Amino acid sequence: MRAYLKHPFWQAVLLLVLAYLVIVFVIPVLPGSAMVPKSVVLQYMATVLVGILIWVSDDEARWTLFKEPLHEVLIQPRLKAVRTALLAVVTLMVGCLTYSQVKASVAAPPNLRSIHPAPPSQITFRGKTIALVGLENPLRRSGDMAAHLAEGRRIYYQNCVPCHGDHLDGQGHFASGFNPLPANFQDNGTIAQLTESFVFWRVAKGGPGLPREGTPWNSAMPAWEEFLTEDEIWSVVLFLYDQTGWKPRTWEVSAEGSK
Amino acid sequence: MIYPLLLLAVVATQDTSAGKQVYTKWCAGCHGVDGKGDGEGARHMIPPPRDFTGNALYQIRSTPSGQLPTDADLLRSIDEGLPGTAMPAWKTRLSDRQRRDVLAYIKTFSPYFADTTQRPQPVVFGSAPGGGSVADALRVGRQFYDSIGCRKCHGDLGRGDGPSAPTLKDDAGHPIFAADLHENWRFNGGGTAEDIYHRLRTGLDGTPMPSFSDLIEQKFLTDEQLWRVAQYVRSLSPKEPPAVRDVIHAPLVTKALPHAPDDSAWTSVDGYWFPLVGQVIRKERWFAPAVTGVWVKAVHTADSIALRVVWDDRSQSPDTAWLAHVGRVLNTLDSDDSTREQPAPWPDQLAVQFPVAIPSGMERPYFLMGSPGAPVYQWRWSSSSRTAAVAGLARGIDRFDPQAGSGPGVRVVYDHGQWRLTFTRALASADTASQLPFRTGRAIPVAFFAWDGSNGEHGTRMAISTWYFLALDEPVPARVFISPVLAMVLTLGLGMLVVWRAQQKTSYRRQQ
Amino acid sequence: MNGRIFSVVGGMFLLTVCSKGDRSAVQAAPPRTEVSAAGGTITGKVKFTGAAPKNPAIDMSEEAACKAKYPTTPTEENVVAGAANALANVFVYVKSGVPAGQTFPAPATSVVLDQNGCRYHPHVFGIMVGQGLEILNSDPVLHNIKAIAKANRPFNVSQPSAGMKTTRTFAAPEVMVNLECNVHGWMHAYLGVRPDPFFAVTGPDGSFSIKGLPPGTYTIEAWHEKFGTQTATVTIAATESKTANFTFAAH
Repeated sequence: MRAYLKHPFWQAVLLLVLAYLVIVFVIPVLPGSAMVPKSVVLQYMATVLVGILIWVSDDEARWTLFKEPLHEVLIQPRLKAVRTALLAVVTLMVGCLTYSQVKASVAAPPNLRSIHPAPPSQITFRGKTIALVGLENPLRRSGDMAAHLAEGRRIYYQNCVPCHGDHLDGQGHFASGFNPLPANFQDNGTIAQLTESFVFWRVAKGGPGLPREGTPWNSAMPAWEEFLTEDEIWSVVLFLYDQTGWKPRTWEVSAEGSK
Repeated sequence: MIYPLLLLAVVATQDTSAGKQVYTKWCAGCHGVDGKGDGEGARHMIPPPRDFTGNALYQIRSTPSGQLPTDADLLRSIDEGLPGTAMPAWKTRLSDRQRRDVLAYIKTFSPYFADTTQRPQPVVFGSAPGGGSVADALRVGRQFYDSIGCRKCHGDLGRGDGPSAPTLKDDAGHPIFAADLHENWRFNGGGTAEDIYHRLRTGLDGTPMPSFSDLIEQKFLTDEQLWRVAQYVRSLSPKEPPAVRDVIHAPLVTKALPHAPDDSAWTSVDGYWFPLVGQVIRKERWFAPAVTGVWVKAVHTADSIALRVVWDDRSQSPDTAWLAHVGRVLNTLDSDDSTREQPAPWPDQLAVQFPVAIPSGMERPYFLMGSPGAPVYQWRWSSSSRTAAVAGLARGIDRFDPQAGSGPGVRVVYDHGQWRLTFTRALASADTASQLPFRTGRAIPVAFFAWDGSNGEHGTRMAISTWYFLALDEPVPARVFISPVLAMVLTLGLGMLVVWRAQQKTSYRRQQ
Repeated sequence: MNGRIFSVVGGMFLLTVCSKGDRSAVQAAPPRTEVSAAGGTITGKVKFTGAAPKNPAIDMSEEAACKAKYPTTPTEENVVAGAANALANVFVYVKSGVPAGQTFPAPATSVVLDQNGCRYHPHVFGIMVGQGLEILNSDPVLHNIKAIAKANRPFNVSQPSAGMKTTRTFAAPEVMVNLECNVHGWMHAYLGVRPDPFFAVTGPDGSFSIKGLPPGTYTIEAWHEKFGTQTATVTIAATESKTANFTFAAH
């Protein structure tokens, strides 16, 4: 046993097995991690293999020792069964792989969707023209913030919960029925990256108001101007930021303060 | 003596004020600021959010019927949520401390928790019986499923379609469905055999589901036999909740197209599950859909396609026995309409939707029944004219233009709480401008819509899906096998060469 | 005392006894020694004006065993009227006036609620806090018994076969606790839980009698499942008999 462990070939095999176990079983249970996709596992394993080969070939004596078992399999008359089996298995694997590559199978077309498409410079909200560039949330400067937030909370729970969920993470009880999944406001890639005017536009115009690159035919986001007033949308936008703790991106003010 | 008491009181106050903060931020939206289950979101939910006040009635307990839940019971519902309802799992959002704090705060809403004489005592649950064959266990389970009267509400095959099902309501008078026992991933208290056994022992207080513990004490059945009922109920659902796969593969069949939904040819065809959710996008929205999803299979011959759609539905609507239930549903939900609708005998309906032509790029019509400029091609079936379906173009959720005389063939069976339906049509179409010509080897967008008339669903009040795909698979051509064979020959040749070279070298060295 | 309620409850009890034959008639109507027989009595009649609403027919086609117990189609018992608009199944009780601090031990004997022919017998009845309620299934079908209560713990238990018994008690006064069977949506019973024995249920002639009351001024309430409640104030001296009549208006 100890002799095997000292042999560079078996050390290399052991390293490969350990690396595989770590990638497939240990990484997914680490906090904040997920299952490693098969293609990524393959990449990792290739990297590990290259590393091992560099290590064994670094030293001439070790390299010779490393090759020994491989060589044995190729030439030893007593290992003929192993040799034949290896040849057969490798040949069959190559055959299966090639077949799965060339076999035609219809897959869902790739969904190339721009998550934050460029907003228009202005929108028409129930017949009123609203310029989005430079637009701030008017409720931040007028009225009682607590009242605005209470209003935003009411609107959120009456309208948004089924899809965006109690957690505001896009996992409401209807979310699984839609593709793309409803936006996850807790994620640092959604409202945390956006100005309030952008969020206002997305809420007001919904899926049907997306440009082509946003795949408007798939989005289940309603055009909320059918249901909510301008102030109601602004208050729910306030609520989203307040409840998640994100700060909206603000418009850069030029030195003159005029832009 | 006083000191520890005082300390206890201080700790308690701290806990509930911290809990109140968490509650107000995350729970009040549905359960209401005062814990009455009347938050802003409440009137869009069936079942409605729990009312924590009054006599503190909880469904998911480890305690006998009529007793308060334990802290562990309440914590489990907070941590794991209640599947099949709008209550999510909170263990990922709130810290252990926050969940314990909110638990302590929720208990302040009812005076019953303050009364220490009401200390809840968990039921002593038996453990899962071992031994015996699975078939025997299920046979015993089925026998007691019948004898303890499960079928009265849950139906003969367990789809929630029993004779008493239409009359069910909870203690507050809200409508309640007998669970469809084929969808264990939606069981409020969890879907394992153990969860089911626990619910049989404790009942779901506040709902029509009683406790069956007395039957063991009265020797009507044994604990083991009750376990068998649970195992039988568990066996009705798939081993794993169905995964959603995007593409329905319709194999080519050489025999006749299966026109009937119960044709034996369907048994060897792969089935696909698609979840349906409420239409909450356009007025009038619908927050309480009854059809949770559809199972779909498809096959095609050289010239025709058959599509089989199966879904659970507790009634063959219209059914006057369910009118009172419809009334309760409409009373429980707020509607976009200012006037409350009156219950009427609406039929069950199903629609299958395709684009008018197979798209070449990404772009396709709006998934929710197209738009005036980009219509969709639909097949629509209604239980009021069971044996006929119509085809037509939808140009938005409120506009469907049927095409006379072009409907697909349809055969339907209603069986113990389940509709099974097949549509058949020729692949080619006479009018390619308004009827999709099906082609093999392409991803054809497809979507599904269902209405349960006995749940008050009609018009825009329905269950919807997003776009999925249908692929009519082509037979594997012989040329596909050429490259694998070639690759195998090459590999084998190379391998043998390597071996031969190595052996040559060695014998050469030895000769030297 | 309590003659009327015992004629209802006890009568039912005797019926059960006859069919079961495992209980002595003595147990069915025990003397309530704790209440002075020499006390005052309140008697009265409950009537209603207007036309009595028709009780809906019950469709028992799903339960052949129950259906077979009726020669004609059974009806619900929402409004049970006697001759001259007498109103039965009214729960009459002393709502207030019993001196605070006076306690009345619960009788050792249980009140029996029988599920027979897919109906509850009795339909309206009273019980004392702590007194046993024995729920009996005389039908060979599944009944569940769900108690909907506010002051008491609600419960929901099942009895899938004939002869099954479950005993429950109630810890707090409550008028009324609703009992229902969800398998048979028409089955309802109403149960008044009182801390004292001063209650009665009107019989088919609309009459009731509450006995053994100490001298005092009492608020008497009459409760009916469809017509609501009415109250009357009665002052009685020792061993005096007073009358309190109630008239409900049919909607």
